[in-house]
Amino acid sequence: MRKLRAAGARVTGFFGKAGRERDMAAEFESHFQMAVEDNLRAGMSESEARRAAMLQFGGVDAAKEEVRDMSTTLWIETTLRDIRYALRGLRRSPGFAAAAILSLALGVGASVSIFAVADSLLVRPLPFRDPGRVVMVWERNSRLRDARFNVISPGNFRDWRAQNDVFENMAAFGDGRSVLIVGDRVEEIANRFATADLLPMLGVEPYRGRFFTAQEDVPNGPNVLVISYRLWQSWFGGEESVIGRKVQLRSQPATIIGVLPPNFYFRSRNIDVWEAMGYDPARDYRKTSGRYQLAAARLKRGASFSAAQAEMTAIAKRLEEQYPAFDKNWTVALEPLRDSMVREVKTSLLVLLGAVGLLLAVACANVANLLLARYTSRKREVAVRVAIGAGRGRVMRQLLTESVVLALAGGVLGLGLARLEIVGMVALAPRDMVRNAVVTVDWRIAGFAFALSLLTGILFGLAPSLVATRNVVDGLREAARSAVGGGRGLRSFLVAGEVALSLILLTGAGLLFRSVVGLQGIAPGIDPGGVVTFRVSLPRAAYREPVRRIQFFATALDRIRQAPGVRSASAVSYLPFDDTSATSVTIAGRPPAKPGEELTGTIRTVMPGYFRTMGIPLLQGRDFTAADDALDSRYRFIVNETFARRFLAGEEPLGKQISAEMDDKNPLGEIIGVVGDVKEGSVDSEPSPTVYYVHAHLVYSTMMLVVKAAGDPQAVVDPARQVIRSIDPAQPIAQVRTMESIVRETFSRQRFSAMLLVAFSIVALLLAAVGIYGVLAYSVTERTREIGVRIALGAQPGRITRMIAGGAARIVAGGLAVGVAGSLALTGLLKSLLFGVTPRDWTTLMAACLVLVSVAAVAAYVPSRRASRLAPLDALRME
Amino acid sequence: MGQKADVWQGTLALMVLKTLDAMGPLHGYGIARRIEQTSGDRLLLNYGTLYPMLLKLEQEGSIKSDWGVSSNNRKAKYYSLTRAGRKQLAQEARQWEETTDIIARFLKPEGETS
Repeated sequence: MRKLRAAGARVTGFFGKAGRERDMAAEFESHFQMAVEDNLRAGMSESEARRAAMLQFGGVDAAKEEVRDMSTTLWIETTLRDIRYALRGLRRSPGFAAAAILSLALGVGASVSIFAVADSLLVRPLPFRDPGRVVMVWERNSRLRDARFNVISPGNFRDWRAQNDVFENMAAFGDGRSVLIVGDRVEEIANRFATADLLPMLGVEPYRGRFFTAQEDVPNGPNVLVISYRLWQSWFGGEESVIGRKVQLRSQPATIIGVLPPNFYFRSRNIDVWEAMGYDPARDYRKTSGRYQLAAARLKRGASFSAAQAEMTAIAKRLEEQYPAFDKNWTVALEPLRDSMVREVKTSLLVLLGAVGLLLAVACANVANLLLARYTSRKREVAVRVAIGAGRGRVMRQLLTESVVLALAGGVLGLGLARLEIVGMVALAPRDMVRNAVVTVDWRIAGFAFALSLLTGILFGLAPSLVATRNVVDGLREAARSAVGGGRGLRSFLVAGEVALSLILLTGAGLLFRSVVGLQGIAPGIDPGGVVTFRVSLPRAAYREPVRRIQFFATALDRIRQAPGVRSASAVSYLPFDDTSATSVTIAGRPPAKPGEELTGTIRTVMPGYFRTMGIPLLQGRDFTAADDALDSRYRFIVNETFARRFLAGEEPLGKQISAEMDDKNPLGEIIGVVGDVKEGSVDSEPSPTVYYVHAHLVYSTMMLVVKAAGDPQAVVDPARQVIRSIDPAQPIAQVRTMESIVRETFSRQRFSAMLLVAFSIVALLLAAVGIYGVLAYSVTERTREIGVRIALGAQPGRITRMIAGGAARIVAGGLAVGVAGSLALTGLLKSLLFGVTPRDWTTLMAACLVLVSVAAVAAYVPSRRASRLAPLDALRME
Repeated sequence: MGQKADVWQGTLALMVLKTLDAMGPLHGYGIARRIEQTSGDRLLLNYGTLYPMLLKLEQEGSIKSDWGVSSNNRKAKYYSLTRAGRKQLAQEARQWEETTDIIARFLKPEGETS
C-alpha cells in the first residue's frame, strides 16, 4: 500500500517540476544557513563556519540529483532529458551523426528488404485451412536424374487414394492455358483441372456460388467453371449475375458456378479458371498415358509426415510389383507444400539473409567505432560529470540513449530504403523467387525494423559507453593532455571485425560472380539472338481433326515468313530452357528392354525450319521439309548428338529405325538427321538424349512459335499477330518473350544472388574503409605530440608513414586471418548456387583479400601521409 | 569528531519518525542535528542521506511538509508526523525491539542464557 502510494506520488511528481526544483534549492539553502549560524554561535569565524557546514553536509549537487531521481518516475523524465541531450549533441556534430545514421540505414535497409521477401515466401501463412498438414505427392524414380519430384500418373493416383490410410483426402490437379471468350473479350488465361475434392480439402469456401461436385467431376460432365476473384473483378466488374453466366472456354460453352475468395491461391497466383478433372473410371491410365499430373493430400490428424511417407512407400512397392511395366523403379515422394513452392529459392534466400546479417554486423561495428571515437574525445566531459556527482550507470544510460536515438533514426531511414530496395529487387528477381510473393512492407516488417534498430542501438552502444565511463579519474587527470588509450584496443578490434566480415561477404560475392560468368560463358547450343517466341493454343473443339491443326500452323508459318523483317519462322511443342516432356524410346533390332531399364529421351515436336531458326547446327543428314509435315508421310525422326552417342554408340545413326512412345500407336521411323545438343533444363547439367518429331506425326494444339527477326525481335510480333488473326479472328497469341530472356531466366537465381551479394559486399567494403580511416586518423591526432617529437629528433617522413601504416597493417592482417577462416567455414553454404567453382576456391579468396588490402591501403594512405608531413613545431604547440 | 557510523536506510527512517514524534514539527536541519545529538555525535547526517529519506517518507505518506519560519526568522520547510506515520512508527519500533532482543540473545556469552 505504502509502495503504491509512493509510486503514485512519483508519477504526479513528473509534473510541476520547476516548483519542486525551487523548493529543494530553498530548503537546502536554509539548511546550510542554519548550520552556518550554529557554527558561528559555537565561536567559529565566518569562513570557518561556512567551510565546516559544507564539509559536514557533503556534496549538495549529488544530494539534489538523488532527490530528483526519487521525486518522479525515473524513466520518463530522464529518458526525455537524455533524448533532448542526445539530439542536441548530434546536431552539434552533424558529420558524425550522418555517418552513423547512414551506416545503419544501409545495414537495416538491406536486412529489412531481404527479410520482407523471405517473410512473404517462407513465413507468411498460406491462404487456406491448416496448410502445414497439406503435402504434395510426387512420384520418384531413383534411376532418372530429374525425377526426384516427378509428376504423377492418374492410374497410380487412383490406387494411392484407395489404399492409403494416412490422408484425410487426396486430390489431383493439372494446370494449362486456355482461351476464354466472354462477349467480345478473347484472351488466353491460366486454368487448372482439379478433382472435385481439391478445393474442399484445402478448406476454402466459395466467395460466391458453389464449387463443382463429385457428380460433375466425370468424363463429359457439365462444363462448369469456378473463377478467381481477380477474373470476377476484371472481366465481370464484380457483378453478382456472374453466377450462371455462359462463356466460351476452348471454343466450348461453359457455365460459371462459383467465385473463389480474394486472397486464395494454391501453389500459383495466376490461375483464373478452375475446372473439374473428369477422370474416366473405366479407363486404364497406365496403358494410355504417362505421368503428367500433380497431386496434393491432407494428412490425417495425428498422422506424422514420416508415417505417411512410410505408408506411401509401401503402397508404391506393391504397385511396382503389380504393374512392373509401368511402375518399375518408381516410388512415391511426399513433400511439404511450402517446401515444394520454394525449393531452391530457399537456399538463395537463406544465403541472402546470412549476407545481410553480416552487412548489418559491419554497419554496427562501424557505428560502435564512431561512437567510441566520439566518447573518447568526450572523456573529459564524462569525467567532469562523474566528479560532480553523476553515477556511472547514469552516464552510461545517457550515452546509450544517444546510440539508441541514432539507431532509431537509422532504422527509419533504413525502412524507407528497404521499400525502394524491395521494388528494385522484385523487378530484378528470378521468376521462381517472386512468382508467389506479394512483398509488402506492413506493420510486422516495420516492427522488425524497429526491433532490429533498437537491438543494434543497444548492442553497439554498450561497449563504447562501458569504455567511456571506465577510469573516469584518469580522464580528469589526463584531461590537460590528449587522452591516450581508452578504447583504442577495442576500436582496432572492431575494425578487424569489419575487415573479417567484409572478406566473408566479398568471397561469397566473388564465388557467385564467377559462377555467373561461367554460366554465361557456356554455349547453350542455340543462338537466341533475334528470336522471339509466343504461344498459340488452338481450341480443341474447333480444331478437332489433326489435319486442321496441321494446316493452321503450316499456313501461319508460311505467312509469317513472308512478313517484313522476318528471317525465318517455325514452331515447337515445348521451348528448350522452358519446358520439357520425356518418354521411353526403342531402337529397332534390339531385344525389348527389361522393365525399368528403358532408354528415355526428351521429346519435342517441331515444324520445318526449327533448327535454322533456333541456330541449332545440323550435324548429319537433313531437316524436316514441308513434305514431311503431312499426315500421310512416312515416320521420320531427327535426334541430337547425345542420343546418337549414348544410344547408338559407334553405329551409323542415319537410317536407323526408332520409335518413341508418345501416342496410342508408335510406329518405327527412320532417323534422317542429327543435330547439335541443346543444354536443356539448366545450363549447368548434361544435355539429355532428344528425339524430334515432325508436327504432323505428334500433333499438338498448342505450339510455341519461334520467329527469327533480321533486326529488333519485338518488331515482328505485331505482324505475326496480324497473321494469326487473319487466319482465325478469335485466336489470340500469348506469352510473347524473347529467347534471350528465356535463356537468361535459367540462371537468374545465381545472377540475382550474385548481384545482391556484390552490392552488399561493396557497402561492407566502404564501411570497413571508413572504419580503417577513422581509426588511423584518430590515432594520428592522438599521437600528434609524439610524432612531432620524433620528427624534431630527426625521424624521416617515411619512417613516420611506416609507423602509422604499420598499425593499419596489423589490424587488417588480423581481420583477414579471421575472415579467411570464416569464409572457409561459411562458403560451403553456397554450394548449391555455385557453378564451375568449388566453395573453397583459393583464387577467389586471394582476390577478395587483395581487394580488401587495396581498399585498406587507400584508407590508410591519407592519415599516414598527414602524419609524415606534420611540422614538428605545430605539433608540439598543439598542446 | 571520532568515528561516525553510516546510518543505513531502515534505521534512519525509524530515527526520523521517532524524532518527529518526540519533537513535533521540525525542519530538515533540526532533524539532522537532533539525530546527531541523540546519538552522542556518533552519527553524522549529510544532505545526500537525509533528504532522499525525507522525500521517501513523504511519498509514502508517513510524514507531511509545510513551509514555516524558524526561530531565527528563516524560511524553512517543516516536517510533521501523519497518522499513518504514527502507526508505522509504533509498528517499526516494535519490530526493532524484537530484532535487537533476538540478536542480543545470540551475542550474550554462552551459559548466561537461561
